[in-house]
Amino acid sequence: MKLDRRQFIKQAAISSAFATAGALFPGISFGDWSRLTQNSGIISWQKSPCRFCGTGCGVLVGVSDGRAVAVKGDPNCSVNKGLCCMKGYHSVQALYGKDRLTKALVRKNGTLVEVPIQEALDLIAQKLQETRDKYGKDSVAMYGSGQWTIPDGYVASKLFKGCLGTNNVEANARLCMASAVTGFMTSFGIDEPMGCYEDIDHANVFITWGNNMAEMHPVLFSRMLAQRKNRTDVKIIDFATRNTRTSQAADKSIIFKPQTDLAVANAICYEIIKNDWVNWNFVNDHVSFHKGKTNIGYGTEDHFAFTDKAESISFEDFEIFLEDYTPEKVEKISGVAAKDIKYLASVYGDPTVKVTSFWCMGMNQHTRGTWINNLVYNIHLLVGKISTPGNSPFSLTGQPSACGTVREVGTLTHALPHGVVMNEHDREMAAKIWEVPVENIDPKPTYHTVEMFRALDRGDIRFMWIQVTNPMVTMPNLRRYRDGALKEDRFVVVSDVYPTPTTDIADVILPAAMWIEQEGLYGNSERRTQHFDQIVDPPGEAMSDTWQIIEVARRLGFEKQFPWAESEYIEKIWEEYRLFHAGPKHEMAPYTLLTQRSGVQWPFVNGKETRWRFNPKHDPACTNGKDFDFYGKKDNRAWIWARPYEPAAESPDAEYNFWLNTGRVLEHWHTGSMTRRVPVLHNAVPSAYVEIHPEDAAELGVVNGEKVKIISRRGEITMPAQINGRGVPVRGMVFVPFFDESYLINEVTLDAFCPISKQPDYKKCAVRLEKV
Amino acid sequence: MPIFSYLALPREGARETLRAELSSLEYCQIIPADNKDLFVLVTDTPDEDIERALQKKLKNIDSLQSLSLTFGCDDQD
Amino acid sequence: MKSQHSKGRRAIPVAVLGIVGLFFLSHNGFAESNAPKNFDNQGGKIFEAQRVTPQLNLQADSGGRTLASFYGLRQYPGSPPRIPHEVDLSFSGNETDCLSCHGKGGYSAQFGAYAPVTPHPENVLCYQCHATIKSETLFVETEWKSITPPRLGQSFLSSSPPPVPHSLQMRENCIACHTGPGAVAEIRISHAARGDCRQCHATVVQSAPLIEFERN
Repeated sequence: MKLDRRQFIKQAAISSAFATAGALFPGISFGDWSRLTQNSGIISWQKSPCRFCGTGCGVLVGVSDGRAVAVKGDPNCSVNKGLCCMKGYHSVQALYGKDRLTKALVRKNGTLVEVPIQEALDLIAQKLQETRDKYGKDSVAMYGSGQWTIPDGYVASKLFKGCLGTNNVEANARLCMASAVTGFMTSFGIDEPMGCYEDIDHANVFITWGNNMAEMHPVLFSRMLAQRKNRTDVKIIDFATRNTRTSQAADKSIIFKPQTDLAVANAICYEIIKNDWVNWNFVNDHVSFHKGKTNIGYGTEDHFAFTDKAESISFEDFEIFLEDYTPEKVEKISGVAAKDIKYLASVYGDPTVKVTSFWCMGMNQHTRGTWINNLVYNIHLLVGKISTPGNSPFSLTGQPSACGTVREVGTLTHALPHGVVMNEHDREMAAKIWEVPVENIDPKPTYHTVEMFRALDRGDIRFMWIQVTNPMVTMPNLRRYRDGALKEDRFVVVSDVYPTPTTDIADVILPAAMWIEQEGLYGNSERRTQHFDQIVDPPGEAMSDTWQIIEVARRLGFEKQFPWAESEYIEKIWEEYRLFHAGPKHEMAPYTLLTQRSGVQWPFVNGKETRWRFNPKHDPACTNGKDFDFYGKKDNRAWIWARPYEPAAESPDAEYNFWLNTGRVLEHWHTGSMTRRVPVLHNAVPSAYVEIHPEDAAELGVVNGEKVKIISRRGEITMPAQINGRGVPVRGMVFVPFFDESYLINEVTLDAFCPISKQPDYKKCAVRLEKV
Repeated sequence: MPIFSYLALPREGARETLRAELSSLEYCQIIPADNKDLFVLVTDTPDEDIERALQKKLKNIDSLQSLSLTFGCDDQD
Repeated sequence: MKSQHSKGRRAIPVAVLGIVGLFFLSHNGFAESNAPKNFDNQGGKIFEAQRVTPQLNLQADSGGRTLASFYGLRQYPGSPPRIPHEVDLSFSGNETDCLSCHGKGGYSAQFGAYAPVTPHPENVLCYQCHATIKSETLFVETEWKSITPPRLGQSFLSSSPPPVPHSLQMRENCIACHTGPGAVAEIRISHAARGDCRQCHATVVQSAPLIEFERN
């Protein structure tokens, strides 16, 4: 090419030099990223789970002279076998953003003032005590995270539930996995998937139920793509409300109208029964049928309460119930062709085809999230495709430790590390292990997350400590909860690593150690616990979240319950926590094993991981002598629930005629506070946008990049349009990713939730669009 | 208008010194290797006299152990 | 799903499944997704290419094309290359002659080289963009200059996968240019079977300024 001739020659000169260097020193490379000067260049590698999604890839963090400088996939980790995604490969860069919080800050007269961290901890303990004294034990609250390490969550629960005697402990996993949990509890009586990632190596058909797996669990998705390439009988079917990368990669893409997944799932069951594809041996031995209440509401009012009532029904009752869900009837409301419904049913119904269903936020962030989880289990249970390699209804987890911390430690208002606060035996067990009087533990749950922030707004809660999460970006109907947190006489403590809209409203900001700057453990989607050492030092005065809680607990007088030395506290906490899970249904591996291996699955019984639960070939907790033992429920059966279709909380109407759907993109994690500070990720997707279908855009008179106003009954926001970009919604729907704090899309969303799980629906509310 | 490229090897432990010294020279561009103590040096001088002066300066750099020519082009335009 | 020869033994359940079941058992395993095509930088292309390109081609060694010869045919990074060999032009079109070699690649005895694979076979009016060389003499001297093409190996972290330094327009199918014997040697890779290139390789166009993060 006729470049500037000199430039061309120089380029040739450089290439020549590179070539010679390459011949003399094989493997030499000349990159161009920023380099440390005065660095020895020697790297030592240490294992850790990735900081980001619920896949739980194992990574090797490269450390040189005390800095994290590189990342490799951990070849010893069965989850990802040495492969990562671009977030994982650049994860360590998230530690080194310029505006990293390194000092404690206290808001005095409106401005943030640096204080020594010990002083900040004093203030926190003092304020906590004052608030309790003045307003009662339930006026203080802890809001944590599915990105909390297991020890973080454990000490939080022990302090608030065991010592302070309040059930005001919640975590952002309420907004992410609660429906999955209640789905498990209602269908099986015990939480967490019965299968494992090995199902991917055996399944013939993968069906993604409303989750964009290619972007959200990319390493698992590429495992599926590799399987499809290497085996001749593998198919991927995408069942979604909009077109995404997953739709492009799938063999078949089926679009359904929002909320009608309930109807389609029932129609699939109808077809299975009609064609007599039911696995009667399995159903007769291992399934019982039930129904619950209907017309159960949406939770948009304060103090909304709901308790379901289970009733046993017969198979014939179930069959009659399904008559409302013939494929032809469901086609009318769902937009899914009857023949596609029948096709899906035939896939599930073919006994020679192993089917793995994957789902995540599409089914969980749903005003009938518990129900839709039940319904997909129903399909697998009717045909007996469960708990065997390749046959797997698999609920994927979003966050790295929503399972490990929130679900397994029980950092939710009703939960304990074993069982629930309502159960006397569970309270006694906790009191014994925690060495607190059993009267401390309150048998009554208080608030789920949305209600907890409503309580803060109302003044029933006056003190809240927020760790490792960003609710001032992620709470639905955000304006109310931000205004609430800013009211008089509310004291908010925020532990975080970077300034965020949540630290913006804090009274005290504690600098937190991030990920590998502290020792910890995470638990991923497939029940695999992974340990990581402290690999690098935290900057400045940044302190591990676990240790922050211990420091405050000691100041409140609970030295006895938090006695551990800094050199061994994680090990001691783990060994204490493990006691809660003793037994073949939930046994956790000992500390030393976790430090040696790249993850150990639980139940870990007699030195072996239980990969498939409820199947006596793999699960030593099975005791009924049959080919399956669903030991979670008292009748030792899995429960099929007759759950109807009920519409969304706020569907498009004449005034607000578009669906608003929200979610993520591959490059960014949640609210972007970490990934936006990673140069390559920020440059790949620098800012948020609203996806609009090209025909809708044309009607609106908007081209790619032009500003659009999105208006709902709760708020409005102006954003640039993206047409035929990363994803394409259907007509009458728009999609906005929530990683960009300069576009707080949750000011527009609705705080309606599933009445059973209390998880909000971020995928559906009604908006209208205006060209700006 | 000669253009040359070299592989420049620093003396033992003098990597950063060499980088500093070479970076400060006019008409020179350096590209450090990621995984070896080695630099690619590209020189682009406007005429023969300046070229000779540059050569002299290079020879006098203490931290430089060796300089291997990998490309030469006298681009007379 | 059992292979074809066992269908006999499975005749009864297959018969029960009926037409709907057989629809599934079709061995056209490579049916393209019915999702719309023109979004996400035509991302469907890379999934399709991963599926249909034989494993051997994905891993094959390069036939010796170099970056220098690659850029030698172009006027600036991203420009359509001139056609470096003689072609049989005819006004009746017959552009698909080009695709007979450049559609899937392969060795051309006539030219003694491996044919590079086009990343955009759906554009069939090849001569619209790709010019032939009839003469090397200039009409008038030119002062045309362009930028230095993107450097290789521009990883943001020493061990991380390098980002895609070029814009994806017309170059959505990574496998076409980065794998097999027709690939340019310096950019050839053999791990394309992993399936989703953009899972690891972010697109950060090198000619665009690097954006620094700032809170608003």
